Amino acid sequence: MLAQVLFSGLALGSIYGLVALGFAVIFKATDVFNFAQGMFVVCGAYFAVTAISLLGLSFPLAILFIIGAAALMGVVIHIFLIQPLSGRPMLSVIMLTIALSIAMRALIEMIYGPQGRTLTTPMPTGVFLLGDLRISQLHLTAAVVCWGCMAVFGGFFRYTSIGLLMRATADSHEAAVVSGINVNTMNRLAWAIGSTLAAVGGLFLGQLQIASTELETIGLLALPAVVIGGMQSIPGAIIGGLLVGIIEQLAASYISPKSSDIVIYVLLLLILMFRPWGLFGQRELGRV
Amino acid sequence: MTTLNSSPSPPAAASWQRWVWWLLAAAFVGYLPFVLTDRAAFGVALSNMQLLNLGLTQINLMVIAMLGALSLNYLTGCAGLISIGHAAFYAMGAMTAAITGSQWGWPFPLVLLSAAVTGAVAGLLAGLPSLRVRGLYFVLSTLAVHYVVVYVFLEYQFKFFDVVGVPYPAAALGPLEINTPIRWYFFLVPLLALVYLGLRSSLRTREGRVMMAMRDHELAATSVGVDVRILRLKAFGLSSAIASMAGALYAYYLTNVTSEAFGIQFAIQFIAMIIIGGIGSLPGSLVGAALWLLLPSVIAGFAAQASGSTGIVRVLLVEHRAQLVQLIFAVLVILLLIFAPGGFASIGRQIRDRLALRRKQG
Amino acid sequence: MTTMLEIKGLSVGYARKGLALEDVSLSVPKGGIVALLGANGAGKTTLIRAVTGLLDLHHGHVHSGSIRFAGESVLGMPPHRRVRLGMGQVPEGRLVFKQLHVEDNLLVGAAVLPRAQVREGLDAVYQLFPRLLERRHSAAGWLSGGEQQMLALGRALIGRPQMLLVDELSLGLAPLIVKDIYQQLRMVGQTLGTAMLVVEQNARLALEFAASAYILNSGRVVLSGTAAEVSANDSMKESYLGTQRRDGGAQK
Repeated sequence: MLAQVLFSGLALGSIYGLVALGFAVIFKATDVFNFAQGMFVVCGAYFAVTAISLLGLSFPLAILFIIGAAALMGVVIHIFLIQPLSGRPMLSVIMLTIALSIAMRALIEMIYGPQGRTLTTPMPTGVFLLGDLRISQLHLTAAVVCWGCMAVFGGFFRYTSIGLLMRATADSHEAAVVSGINVNTMNRLAWAIGSTLAAVGGLFLGQLQIASTELETIGLLALPAVVIGGMQSIPGAIIGGLLVGIIEQLAASYISPKSSDIVIYVLLLLILMFRPWGLFGQRELGRV
Repeated sequence: MTTLNSSPSPPAAASWQRWVWWLLAAAFVGYLPFVLTDRAAFGVALSNMQLLNLGLTQINLMVIAMLGALSLNYLTGCAGLISIGHAAFYAMGAMTAAITGSQWGWPFPLVLLSAAVTGAVAGLLAGLPSLRVRGLYFVLSTLAVHYVVVYVFLEYQFKFFDVVGVPYPAAALGPLEINTPIRWYFFLVPLLALVYLGLRSSLRTREGRVMMAMRDHELAATSVGVDVRILRLKAFGLSSAIASMAGALYAYYLTNVTSEAFGIQFAIQFIAMIIIGGIGSLPGSLVGAALWLLLPSVIAGFAAQASGSTGIVRVLLVEHRAQLVQLIFAVLVILLLIFAPGGFASIGRQIRDRLALRRKQG
Repeated sequence: MTTMLEIKGLSVGYARKGLALEDVSLSVPKGGIVALLGANGAGKTTLIRAVTGLLDLHHGHVHSGSIRFAGESVLGMPPHRRVRLGMGQVPEGRLVFKQLHVEDNLLVGAAVLPRAQVREGLDAVYQLFPRLLERRHSAAGWLSGGEQQMLALGRALIGRPQMLLVDELSLGLAPLIVKDIYQQLRMVGQTLGTAMLVVEQNARLALEFAASAYILNSGRVVLSGTAAEVSANDSMKESYLGTQRRDGGAQK
C-alpha cells in the first residue's frame, strides 16, 4: 500500500541521508569523492557486532565504542592515505578510495569470515499499527535517530566555533590558512565526522538486515543521493538520501525488487545529463 | 599523469641487439604454451612451483584481460576520460555474442565483428555525457552506465536463458575449431599484438597526438582548431569496441557466463591494472594485466605448499586465499599511488634512464 | 625585544624557476611601519609568502637565510602557527570567505581570542570600518572590492596581532577608498602599536604611510632607509618603480 511504501522509503531514506551527509562533509572539506563510504557503513555494522557480541559491552558503551572507532578510523585514513595524495589528479584519489574499500572488504572478511553476522541490539523490533499502516518500530527508531544526528550535526556546523572554522575551510582553503586555521585538523575532523555518520547508518542497516560486506552496495547508494541532491549542498545531500530511499522502495514495490537500484542509477544518469549540479546545488562552471 | 607513452628511439648502433631481443621474446612467447601444457621445457620436467603454478588457461585469460587493460588505458591514460564502467562493454560484447553467436549461429569472426560494432555504438552513446560534463560528473555517468548495462544483461540472461548462465558455442575460424588452450593461445596472442600495434600507431597520428595533448591541456588543444569533443567520442568508441570484442572472446572462452561476472569488481580490476602498469603507458597495461592475473595463481601455489603447515600462514593462504589476494592487490595499488604514481611504467623508465646515465658516464 | 620581524640573508626559489629572492635582509621594529616596494615580479609577494609560510603552497622553498618573528625563528613553522604567534595576514586578493557572511568572516579571525573578548573585538572592528557593520549579514562574496579589503583587514586585526602583513592593498580599488583605509590603519598603528609590513604598488601612498621602506628589484634589496630618505631618492624611484607621476599610481 502506498503509504506503507512511503513510510519505509522515508525511514530508509533517513539512513541514506545520514550516510550521504557524511559523504558530503568529506567532499566539501577535502574534495575527495569517497568511494569507500559504503565500506565505512559496513564497518559501522561490524563495530557494532564487535562491541555487542564479541566484547559484550552494554548498549550505551557500545554506541560510544562505535563512534570512537569510526572517528579514529576516519582520522587515520586521512593522515596516512588522503593527506599524502593531496594535490594529485582525480583518478589517483578516486582509485585510492576504491582500493581502500577493496582492502577493507578483504580485511573484514578475513577477520570475521565471509558470511554475515547477526546484530542484536536492544532496539525495539516490533511493529505497531496505526490504522491500516504497519509501522516497524525499528524503522521509526532509525528515522528518529538519524534525523537527530543530522540535527546535531547541523547545529554543530552552524553554531559552534569549530563548525564555523570547518565551513570557512570548505569555502576557501587558502583563506583558511591565512586566517590561522589548522587546515589539516579541519580535514581530519571532516573525515572523522563523515566516517562516524556512515557508521551510525551501518548500525541501523546491520540491524535491519545483517552485518555483512554486502551492505556496501546499499551504502554506495549515498553516492547517487549526493549527486542528485547536489554535491556542493549539505541539505541537498540529505534530501537526496530521502529521495533515493523513497524511490528505491517505490521501485521495489511497483516494478520489481531487482530493479530498485537501476532506477536510481538511471535517475543519476538523467540528472548528470540535464542538471549535473543536482536539484539543490548551484550551477558552478569549471567545477570539474 | 604521465605524458607520452611511446619511448624515444634508441641509438642506431644498438638496433641489431634489439632484433636479437625481439627474436628471443618471440621464441619465448611461441614456446611457452607447449611448456605449460606439457609441464616440461626442452624435455626437462618442471614442477608446478617452477612454472609459478600457471596453466595455459590463466595465460589465455590474461591475454584477453590485456585487451581490456589496453583499451581502458587508451581511453583514460591517453584520451583523459576516466571510466569506471569498463566492464559494461565486456558485458555488451558477451551479450552481442550471445545473440549473434548462440542464438543466430553466426560464424565466429562475424560474431567478434558484431561485438566490436555494438561496443563502438555503445561507447559513443556512453561518451555522450562527456559533451556535457567533465571530470567527476563524467566518472559518475560511467558508473551509472555500468549498472544499467549489466542490468540489461541480467534481464537478457533470464529472458532467453536461465540462472545457470548464457551458453556459447565453440569458436571456430572457418573449418578450424579453436577448442584447445593452445589453439586459443595462438589465436589470441597475434590478435593482441594487432590491437597493441593498432592503438600505438593511432596514438602516433596527428589526431592521436592532439588527443594526448588535450588530455592535459584542453584549452590549448581547442585552439589548434580540433574539436576535442569529437576526438574524445572517437576514443571512447574505439576503446569500447575493443573491450566489447574482448568480452565476446571472454564469453566464448568460458563457454558460459552469468551477469555476476560483470559486477563492479570486474570494472575496478581494469583500473587497478592500468594504475599498476602506469596510466598512459600501453606496455604498462600489459604488465598490469599480467600481474593481476598471474599473482593469484602464484599465491595459490604457495597455498598448496603451505597446506601441510599450521598456524596463521596456513589460515591466510588456504582459508582466506581470495581475500588475501584482494588485500595484496589493494595494498599494492595504494602503495603505488602514494609512492610511484606512474606505476611500473614509470619505475621502468627511471631504471632505464639511470642505466642510460651510467652508460654515458662510461 | 625591539625588532618584530627580522629577515637575514634570505634566498628563496621556486621549483624549476630559479631564485626569486637573493640574500634579502629586512627588519620591522616593534610598532614600526615598513613599506615594501618594487616593480611587478621583483619578489615582494615571494617575500611575504616566505614570512607567512605560504611558500609551500606555491611550490617555493627557502634556500638559505633566517626569519625571526617576535624573537622566534619561524622557518619550517606551519602557517597557522605563525598566525597564532601574532602575524596577522591580509593577502593579495583579499581572500575573504565568500560564502560566509561578514560577521562570520570576522568571527573566524576572532577564533584566537578568548570567548569573553570576542564581542569587544567585533565592536572594535565595526568602529574602525562602519561599512562592515552595515553589511554584517551579507555574504562576503557580494561586497564591493573596498568592503572586502576592509573585511580582510578586520579579520586580521580582530585577533590583536603584533604585526600586520598587508599585500597589495590598493589593487583594484578607487584612490579615495585606499586613502581612507590607510588612514584607519595609521590610527590602528598609533593606538594599538601594531607593527605593519605593507607591500604596495602605489609607492607614493606607501611612503606617506610608512616610516621606513625597502625597494626590491629582481629579488634583491636595492634601496632602504626612512621613508623620507627613499622618497628623496628620485632617480632610484624612477628606475625601479616605473614612472611615478601626479596621478599617484605606479605605471608599469
